[in-house]
Amino acid sequence: MSISTIYILVAAGLLVFSFVKNREKTTKALMVAGRVALMVLPVLLFVFVLMGILEVFVPREVFTSLLGSGHGVLGIALGELLGAFALIEPAAVFPFAGFLHQSGASYGAVVGFVMSAILIGIVTLPLEIQQFGARFTITRNVIALLLIFGLGLVFMVVL
Amino acid sequence: MNMKHENAASEQHKKNHKGSPELVKSAIIYIALAVVAWLGTTIITPQEGIHVAGIVYQTFAGVLAIIAAVFVLIGLIQVWLTPEQVSKVLGKEAGWKGLLLSATLPMILGGSLFVIFPLLKTLRGKGARTSSVVAFLFAWSAKAPLLPLEIKFLGLPFAALRLGAIPILAILGGLLAEWIVDKPLRDAGLEIPER
Repeated sequence: MSISTIYILVAAGLLVFSFVKNREKTTKALMVAGRVALMVLPVLLFVFVLMGILEVFVPREVFTSLLGSGHGVLGIALGELLGAFALIEPAAVFPFAGFLHQSGASYGAVVGFVMSAILIGIVTLPLEIQQFGARFTITRNVIALLLIFGLGLVFMVVL
Repeated sequence: MNMKHENAASEQHKKNHKGSPELVKSAIIYIALAVVAWLGTTIITPQEGIHVAGIVYQTFAGVLAIIAAVFVLIGLIQVWLTPEQVSKVLGKEAGWKGLLLSATLPMILGGSLFVIFPLLKTLRGKGARTSSVVAFLFAWSAKAPLLPLEIKFLGLPFAALRLGAIPILAILGGLLAEWIVDKPLRDAGLEIPER
């Protein structure tokens, strides 16, 4: 049995369990799932095309030299920078991160990209400042960048 | 006071939550961008265009089942365990226990920053400490509902290490942020409100 089959069976099982417990909530859950699908699938299509185009037109050496372990800790910082500017759905972050790793990016750079893509958003900065103030926002984001960098170092050593 | 905060947060939430027409619009835009990018490639080099189409097809075929399972998982988590419920649990706990819960519980939540920020503002308005708010944010970045995707594309060791490290990052980040953000209050000799 493949991993995919197991996931599907688990999801189906949870769905049945949920349905038995509460029909209304389960219907709502399926509607949420549909909404998320509508939101995520087109982004995935775009990211997959982008991955294909990058694979065809950008030489592997570019990724390896910028994000590879040969580039040392600077690769982590570059991964973070890429993540902070990436405007993609979290669900699309992992496929693209996998592509980066296959193209020669180190695990440190990849985790830098993943974490800052989820946690640091150039587009959400104005909202964050509006809700929490500039002092909180700057502190929070700088700390995030530093801790993610540390995490990248750990990933480089461990993985 | 709390009610006001909640209303403001839920309005903010609605404003940032895309309605169906907007959702369809953004879907069309992304599909159009993908098609245009692919057509451009195919016009420049037809051979590579076919190659790219192959990559897209294979990647999609490889993840469709996982993605479907993830969508269902996100839907179920969203109705059975809302961020509001999690923040309610956190609101009851103070001190170290509160920090520890803030650094772990939100790991299983989905949603985007647009949903999480207004919620955290509400939490803060109710007196949550800076450390808990920041820890919540870090823990939320685990994105556990997407775990099947993470394992598929980056492998189990990567996913396990990342998820295992997140509570530690969350606690460190929370304490550090609180120490810096609340510093002017301490310097002014003001007591940090016991919350």
